[in-house]
Amino acid sequence: MSQFKLSIDNREKLSYIFIVLIFLTLIIGLFKLQILEHAGLAKQSENNRIRVESIIPRRGIVTDRNGQIIIDNRPSYTVSVVPAEIVKGKTIENLSELIALDTNLIRKRIRRNMVSRYQPSPVKRDISFEIVAILEEQYKKFPGVVYQMERVRQYNRQLGAETYTGYVGEVSENELKKIADAELHLGSIIGKKGIEKKYDAILRGREGTKYIEITASGQLVGEYADKNKIPAEPGSNLVLSIDNDLQIASTQAFDTFCCGAIVAMDPRNGEILAMASFPGYDANIFSSVIPESLWNEIRDDSTHPLLNRPLKGLYPPGSTVKFVGVGAGLEEGLITENTKYKPCIGGYQFGNRFFGCWKESGHGSLNAAHTLEQSCDTYMYQLGLKLGVDKLSEYYRECGFGIKTDVDLPQEASGLNPNTTYYDKRYGKRKWSIGLVLNNSIGQGELLVTPLQLARFFCGLANNGIVYKPHIVKKIQYFDKTETIIEPEIAFTLPFSKNTLKILYEGLSLVVDGKHGTAKKLKNEYYSIGGKTGTSENPHGENHSWFAAVAPLEDPEIVVVAIVENSGHGSEIAAPLVGKIIKSYMAKKLGIPLDEVDADVAQSGDSL
Amino acid sequence: MTIKYSALDWKLILAATLLTLIGVVLIMSAQHNASTEYQQNYYQRQLIWFAIAFFIFAVIVHIPPKLFDLLAYVIYGFSILLLILVLFVGTAKMGALRWFSFGSINFAPSDLAKVALLFALSRFLAYTKLPVASKRRLALTSFMVAVPVLLILKQPDLGTSLVFLVVLFVLWFWSGLSPFYLLLIVSPIISLITASHWLAWAIYFVLLLIFLFTIRPGLLFGVITVITNLAFGAVMPFLWNHLADYQKLRILTFLDPGRDPRGAGYQIIQSKIAIGSGGIFGKGLLNGSQTRLDFLPEPHTDFIFSVLGEEFGLFGALILLFLFGVIFYRAIRIAMHCRSKFSSLLVMGAAGIIMFQFIVNIGMALGFMPVTGLPLPFVSYGGTSLVLFWALIGFMVAAEARWQEY
Ligand SMILES: [Zn+2]
Repeated sequence: MSQFKLSIDNREKLSYIFIVLIFLTLIIGLFKLQILEHAGLAKQSENNRIRVESIIPRRGIVTDRNGQIIIDNRPSYTVSVVPAEIVKGKTIENLSELIALDTNLIRKRIRRNMVSRYQPSPVKRDISFEIVAILEEQYKKFPGVVYQMERVRQYNRQLGAETYTGYVGEVSENELKKIADAELHLGSIIGKKGIEKKYDAILRGREGTKYIEITASGQLVGEYADKNKIPAEPGSNLVLSIDNDLQIASTQAFDTFCCGAIVAMDPRNGEILAMASFPGYDANIFSSVIPESLWNEIRDDSTHPLLNRPLKGLYPPGSTVKFVGVGAGLEEGLITENTKYKPCIGGYQFGNRFFGCWKESGHGSLNAAHTLEQSCDTYMYQLGLKLGVDKLSEYYRECGFGIKTDVDLPQEASGLNPNTTYYDKRYGKRKWSIGLVLNNSIGQGELLVTPLQLARFFCGLANNGIVYKPHIVKKIQYFDKTETIIEPEIAFTLPFSKNTLKILYEGLSLVVDGKHGTAKKLKNEYYSIGGKTGTSENPHGENHSWFAAVAPLEDPEIVVVAIVENSGHGSEIAAPLVGKIIKSYMAKKLGIPLDEVDADVAQSGDSL
Repeated sequence: MTIKYSALDWKLILAATLLTLIGVVLIMSAQHNASTEYQQNYYQRQLIWFAIAFFIFAVIVHIPPKLFDLLAYVIYGFSILLLILVLFVGTAKMGALRWFSFGSINFAPSDLAKVALLFALSRFLAYTKLPVASKRRLALTSFMVAVPVLLILKQPDLGTSLVFLVVLFVLWFWSGLSPFYLLLIVSPIISLITASHWLAWAIYFVLLLIFLFTIRPGLLFGVITVITNLAFGAVMPFLWNHLADYQKLRILTFLDPGRDPRGAGYQIIQSKIAIGSGGIFGKGLLNGSQTRLDFLPEPHTDFIFSVLGEEFGLFGALILLFLFGVIFYRAIRIAMHCRSKFSSLLVMGAAGIIMFQFIVNIGMALGFMPVTGLPLPFVSYGGTSLVLFWALIGFMVAAEARWQEY
């Protein structure tokens, strides 16, 4: 290689050549700008301003599993002000008159949403077309005022789907600090709750930037023809596992009640088919600036419409969790299929306290499956004492209670599954009665679950013990036409053997099919259905009414859980409600008109 | 060890002084209508910094380069220590380079590291017995550069890291690396730089062909050079233009996480309007509307050249280019003249640092290059960078004053 060693003279020559080339390039650049393009650029410099405008991408559309719209966008206009172009005594004053907003409020909003002095700062969203027309005609009266077409979120109100759609709003300063996304700036619209929040980055797309040339008087010259323009990247669409028909049926079925929640899932894969929280609210009101009075009204409503009950509502599960105790007894060898405890005489004497069964006349002697069928508390008390607080709590945990489901929605509660450690902390070491296990064994006391957790548990019962992680987004459709399909994920397996599961399942079917079943009114000739009623005592008022159902029993494909707050017994309120929802699902599946599927009129039996 | 004042390179000193004073005038003009008095007085502070920088320059001129030669590795090691230390105890402003703060004075160790690396590489290449294109020699020098670069990349700053690479390339070249390697490394980069203007690239490419034809390096080498230059100058931009814009954006953001694409596009448009509207003779001092209306962010640092172009036009810009030309010409003459190999390398490396920031800053103002935030040597506002550049001039002047020494 040494023949290639550069001699010192050649190095010098090469250096000069390099420098000359660089200077030539720079001089060509100067010549181009200062001679060739001088006239045009001089005019721009004197008369015109360049304004930076965001190109807001279309936010992704959300549909149900059949392509029916859940969330889409509608066009609207947003009026903004470019801070650098404000003329004192004119811009803000005239605008204030036009859009009926206080001048101070306008100034506050300009400052709050300001990205740079040359970029429009949104003042009011969703303005009427009349205002747009005035702004266009009388642009001289409104120097620095800009209107932009933006798309406003539109939620299908008929669905009552706020609990998972959530809503969008202007990004707050706190959120800006938390979310590391260079695309976000003050005035950006982001998801605040539900899938809008969880999938915000995917739905939002990426903002673009364009440069607009305007004259000194504010007249539009046109888009600045420059390669520096950055186009927007549209948001991606989401396909949910929700079935809009079932969602509507659920919302309608709940119509006559005040508060509660409904969750419908497919036990074979964890897909959420319908979910609703009652009372709901209109997610559309958040799309434009929400009036303070309306906001206060919602916030102070004693029925808490903003509470996301399926995920955050914490309730004692009542008898719906008796499966866990019975299952634990079978697994631990404390009982067999045929074990019968002391007969139920309407309750159980423990020490100096009598714990009642819901049926005051008593159930007599029952085996495991019939205990579930008739929901006998006495049997559960005796079994609970044998298990003890911690063993029972361990089984609750292994059935998913007290643990978040990791559903793809934000702000989920984990519930409460008390054990010795918890009681020691709460009441002091050994300062609590072992009798607390009696409450826990019938789903009362400190045990608290969310409706989604309960639905997940019943999915496990319906799916041979295999529990899938609940999820709501089925598919992400990117703007470039590629797709990501969200595959079902197994969360855990119930801690029960095949035999135990068989016995529990028998109990589940007896609740509807059995002679003394607590929900036998749901029995019909078209499809089989099983479930469990629950009535959880509520110190503040009427009992909460639960029902969890599985259908069809031969090959379960839907689990529905409903709670109706402060309404009474599970068998009287929640069971017929869930019955209606399942009826709507099965009628669609079997292809028979709804009214033909009439539940066999059974004699109203014992109820709980 | 006294030096004769007549032996000093007064042309070089005069060019650097004029550039600094032009800078002071432009800074004053750029911040003339600024909202705060603090900003309006930037030019006064620049004058004070000039006094400090000139003092340091004068001290350096009196130090024999031999001393830097002997202490080169010690200084290099010390600067690496500081770079590590600043990761733990330094303060960072807006995700940029890390500083040591001493009261109101900020000191960025990356500036010292530039000089330290220059010393260390010059010393190594001046005395090594390794053949010029040997793998060990290339690997060892690359390693010496990699250490500070990796430390600086931890505090993301693409511009400063590139300065280190430039020092390496210049010193490889000046220590006689075979043109095979050199052209293979350097010419594609020039292709890439010039490729943003088809005319610039075409001129460059023709000159490259003429050059290849003159030195006749052999068929294989010639063909490889032409192919890589075509690839970088023509094919890469072609592929680049076929990427979707958001993909480009992602690549650029990946390469330079600190950049703000929304702001950068706006700044380049404004800079081009400012320069273009200046025409041949400019609008005159304090008459630049583009700077006046503060359309240009940071006109006193990153976009100082735009202020010059607007207020003094092509005429003023050419004077500035001429003064830089004097510096580069004198640097090459000194590097050729002095007998010490270390001094020769030191001077060329110093010129390389000035040259690189000069190209990148003006290229950015003209819209050839992405916005990087490297200041224009001597002209842009900034105390530490003014001191750094005057120190580099100090090395050049000192080398020339003692050109007979080995
Ligand atoms: Zn009983």
